[in-house]
Amino acid sequence: MSTPKRTLIIIDQAPYGSFEGREALDMAFSLAAFDQTVSILFSGPGVNWLRKGQLAADIHQKSVEKNLAAAPIFGVQALLANAADCELFNLTQDNLLEQVELVKLTPELTGQFNHITFAG
Amino acid sequence: MTDAQSELTGTPAHAGVFTLVITGAPYSSQAPQTALDFARAALKAGKQIDRVFLYGDGVHLASALLAPPSDEANLARAWADLLTEHQIPGVACIASALRRGLVDESEQKRYQLPASNLVAPFEIAGLGEWVASTASDSRVLYFHKGA
Repeated sequence: MSTPKRTLIIIDQAPYGSFEGREALDMAFSLAAFDQTVSILFSGPGVNWLRKGQLAADIHQKSVEKNLAAAPIFGVQALLANAADCELFNLTQDNLLEQVELVKLTPELTGQFNHITFAG
Repeated sequence: MTDAQSELTGTPAHAGVFTLVITGAPYSSQAPQTALDFARAALKAGKQIDRVFLYGDGVHLASALLAPPSDEANLARAWADLLTEHQIPGVACIASALRRGLVDESEQKRYQLPASNLVAPFEIAGLGEWVASTASDSRVLYFHKGA
């Protein structure tokens, strides 16, 4: 019998500069759609995915805000953000999307998952 | 038992079965060659590879139209030969593939495109194939553009 997987997908690149993060998000939603346990961790410049008021249409892209807001509804267990990186990029409760859980990036945190992958 | 041994037995990959996910493109990243070297070594060591999944820029590896100079490795051909020889399913993610102009005959017809270019034995399928691997006992390894 298979070991139940608890997947963590780490997005550590800023949004819109490359497609890796967006496709990692698709991976997370796919896992959730198949009733697999998945959380997403934003770290480094990746925390900027969680900033309110993104004007992606100005650069002919779709904003990821709505997708991220819907993540818990679609079954993504948690949207985690490395607290130290949020501070570095001046992300506070005022300009951070709701439903984001600030965490400290430690071995104890990653140890809660048995399948961890980066966006690319 | 040492700590190192306990760590090894604690992984879900007890059966020695691997799934390889390649997201780095050929000729702009080393990922396809690194993954190929890993696959050859794993098979030689008696391990199994249950699926190779191409995602993101990795789908370019399944293009029948790659024509590198004759003194460079033809990565698409090398991968296709390995998959055929060992009867390993090779899957390109449909969403990644369509965005990047990699289509089989069925998608060519669906989108009324002038050509198809998927090299056999690769197939086009959804992320569900990757989900199936992650939910199984396979150890899923990722070969990104920095790999």
